[in-house]
Amino acid sequence: MSFKKLAVLAGVAALTLSGCAAAADDTASEATSSTEETTAAATTEELKDIKICVYTHGDGGTFWSVAQMGAEDAGKDLGITVDYQGSINDSAKQASTIDAGIAAGCNGIAASAPDAGAIEQAMLAVSAAGIPTVTMNSGSDVFKDLGAFTHVGQDEIVAGREAGYKFNDAGMTNILCPIQEAANSGLTDRCAGARETSTGTVSDFNLDGGLADLTAASAKIKAALEADPTIDAVFALNADIAAKAVLPAVQDLGRDIMIGTVDMSEDALNAIAAGDIAFAIDQQQYAQGYMSVVLLYLNVTNAHSLGGGLPIYTGPGFVDASNVAQVQALVAAGSR
Amino acid sequence: MMSNLSDERVSQTSIATRMLRRPELGALIGAFVIFSLFWGFDTTGNFAALGGTAGWTDIAAPIGIIAVFVSLLMIGGEFDLSTGVMVGTSGLLAGMLVTEYGLNMWVAIPIVLLFAAAVGFINGMIVVRTGLPSFIVTLATFFVLRGANLAVTKSLTGTVRVSGIEEAEGFDSAHAIFASRLMVGTSSFQISILWWIAITILATWLLSRTQFGNWIFASGGDKNAARNAGVPVDRTKVTLFIMTSLASAFVGIMFVLRLQGMQAGQGVGMEFFYIIAAAVGGTLLMGGAGSAIGASIGAAIMGIADIGIPYALWDQDWRWTFIGVILLAAVLVNTFIGNRAKGAKR
Amino acid sequence: MSIALELKKAGKAFGSVIALQDVSVKVRQGSVTCILGDNGAGKSTLIKTLSGVHKPSSGSYEVEGAEVSFGSPRDALAAGIATVYQDLATIPLMSVWRNFFLGNEITKGWGILRRLDVKKMKELTKQQLMEMGIDLRDTNQQIGTLSGGERQAVAIARAVYFGAKVLILDEPTSALGVRQSGIVLKYVLAAKDRGVSVVFITHNPHHAYLVGDYFYLLNRGQLANEFERKHVELDELTKAMAGGAELDALTAEIQQVRNVS
Repeated sequence: MSFKKLAVLAGVAALTLSGCAAAADDTASEATSSTEETTAAATTEELKDIKICVYTHGDGGTFWSVAQMGAEDAGKDLGITVDYQGSINDSAKQASTIDAGIAAGCNGIAASAPDAGAIEQAMLAVSAAGIPTVTMNSGSDVFKDLGAFTHVGQDEIVAGREAGYKFNDAGMTNILCPIQEAANSGLTDRCAGARETSTGTVSDFNLDGGLADLTAASAKIKAALEADPTIDAVFALNADIAAKAVLPAVQDLGRDIMIGTVDMSEDALNAIAAGDIAFAIDQQQYAQGYMSVVLLYLNVTNAHSLGGGLPIYTGPGFVDASNVAQVQALVAAGSR
Repeated sequence: MMSNLSDERVSQTSIATRMLRRPELGALIGAFVIFSLFWGFDTTGNFAALGGTAGWTDIAAPIGIIAVFVSLLMIGGEFDLSTGVMVGTSGLLAGMLVTEYGLNMWVAIPIVLLFAAAVGFINGMIVVRTGLPSFIVTLATFFVLRGANLAVTKSLTGTVRVSGIEEAEGFDSAHAIFASRLMVGTSSFQISILWWIAITILATWLLSRTQFGNWIFASGGDKNAARNAGVPVDRTKVTLFIMTSLASAFVGIMFVLRLQGMQAGQGVGMEFFYIIAAAVGGTLLMGGAGSAIGASIGAAIMGIADIGIPYALWDQDWRWTFIGVILLAAVLVNTFIGNRAKGAKR
Repeated sequence: MSIALELKKAGKAFGSVIALQDVSVKVRQGSVTCILGDNGAGKSTLIKTLSGVHKPSSGSYEVEGAEVSFGSPRDALAAGIATVYQDLATIPLMSVWRNFFLGNEITKGWGILRRLDVKKMKELTKQQLMEMGIDLRDTNQQIGTLSGGERQAVAIARAVYFGAKVLILDEPTSALGVRQSGIVLKYVLAAKDRGVSVVFITHNPHHAYLVGDYFYLLNRGQLANEFERKHVELDELTKAMAGGAELDALTAEIQQVRNVS
């Protein structure tokens, strides 16, 4: 028998045996735990059977890994199973994942909705199957249309408004707003919110793809700042953009420009501590992940539908020189 | 009467070896092995049931529809890197035609297909006229379309997505045909699966049972020898490029109907998955041999992994590692087979 | 004897490079005509002129007495002139029957349902190869698994089957061992038996002498010599190829040098 054929047969045999072993393992543990079953409270096995699924459009970067950690920590704290999937900005993939959640045995599904129309059919199918849903991170104004009972996140317009106030307090008159992900309406909303409350002008600036090449992004921002010497503030919409693209550009030019950003990273917080960046808006995405799971857990186990038909806000929280020290330790640990 | 001059050094091949040499059989065995693997690790109990099947076929169908034609093109000796982005371009174009220009969906669809065919034609003509590697030519097309997707969408809609398609005339009927669901028991299957199966059958027939199919093998196997034998190599290649673009547009239309809109970045990055599915299914990267049905099996494997990994509650990041491993394994096996067939005897 | 092909004082220049000059070659019907010459002699240009890749820049090219001007190899093919190139005869990854019928596929049905008549093509391939002396159990095997000589033989059988009146073979034995060359030479004679005129290009006088009826020697783009088989012996042919009178002079010179040192 040729080596190739032998290898194939061996592979199939090994995998079948391991599959049987895994299945046998499950039935064995179920048998032992059922004998220890208490009458009223849910046993560890029954809890583990509760599966909450968090299906986002996230890309696994510094922002989304914190949200994922939040969701998974909630799972550990409650003793239930959590399945997190990020579709890396692919709406078709996210829709398919949500659709597949029904057969995957999800008892509750949380989904981010940057493009509500894309996942509408999937979300409605999930609701039709009797599975409760919430939206998180994006979709605060569409969650009802998607059949969700609430939304957990930060309203981007509200965040932008608050940032606008901060810039007013410092007397800023011409604010540049670089948008690093052209397809993300949440980002445009932040700039729009700032425009509403700012007493000066807020100009959107196209920095699409900025996160993929921070050096190039920095050069573009420098060029924009040079082109308009009256710009006195930059409202960055991402911590990496702020710390690694905007800050170097501003330092290069040597002008006195106020930098505010959305979301946090170790570098951005260090810059705040050093006085180079004025503030970071914290949408507390750890809590977005954590609370999505808790809200669905409470719905599944005790029929609670929290929120009162309105979104539940996790932000904007502000991190500036006054509270940066506390937060820094947590960001370094990956949980903020 | 001439004596029998067959070379005693040419060994007679056993039936088993001959069957294993068929590219799709190797891929099918691989698919079964991978399916068994995930069946073993399944935590939901639904993987090998209707529910799980609905899940992985949903992922596999749009990959398979395009991978099948990508494999034909690869057999013909060329690559198309503009397939992924063309999915986005077609979806966006269809969306803009109905929302910005108020066209009926059924008028928009042929326009989009015509556009895609034109892009494929241009890809093909540049490749055959200049002799540049198709990898480079279609990479250029990829960048052109990627930029256009963003710029045109922004200038026409002010945003980078097209939405509100569901309000358009003809949406409901088009949705019913390209993006609806079929209930089988309690599970809902996407209609895209039926399209996938039909297209796979069509492509397989085209490749193995028509004159054009013979020309595809010849153009990829040795285009000079093919030309000398009278095969219209240039025309064959251009036709293949048109087909890959059309397949991508078809998926784009399916998506825009299902998602009721489309983001400007949709599809970018998928072009390599189509090539990987084709390679896993037995299509040689060097051209000249391969299988359309194999590409579908490759797409199925990707779908099985995409659903199997979360069903096993593994970290989904393993998906990338998985794709890498099966690609390497498939290419090694294919090269081994290709070498034995090609140059062993002189 | 009637003439199948004839080049009359043909010349071919590429810019300032004169590849062929004043070459007159007669290919007689039903014979094997060998074109001999070393590398650089112009054989490649000559074969391309005969097979329709190039048009002669001067002189004329006649097929069965009528002057022709081929625009492409397909035109020559249509006129019954089939060329089998050394490396480009068959496509290794394709099966034997697909190679055999490449460009001439048999189909059944019409319109959109026109499909290959696979069964018929497999049968015919097996039968035709058998008639040329090749017994293949499975015409589905990839042609790359056959030996080099057998691949050439399939190419020859293909040309003969599809009605080639003239078969031009470009260095068919140059990359083959002795046994394989023997196979090819036997097929050359088999083709001749079926009434095909063969033009056999080679730089190997031994092979040429085994099958040739007429010999033309090319040297530096010009015709150096022509022989008929009945008037020439092998060693005379070999010597003529190696340089003839020039070689004699060179031999004498070298021997003088060696005797002195």
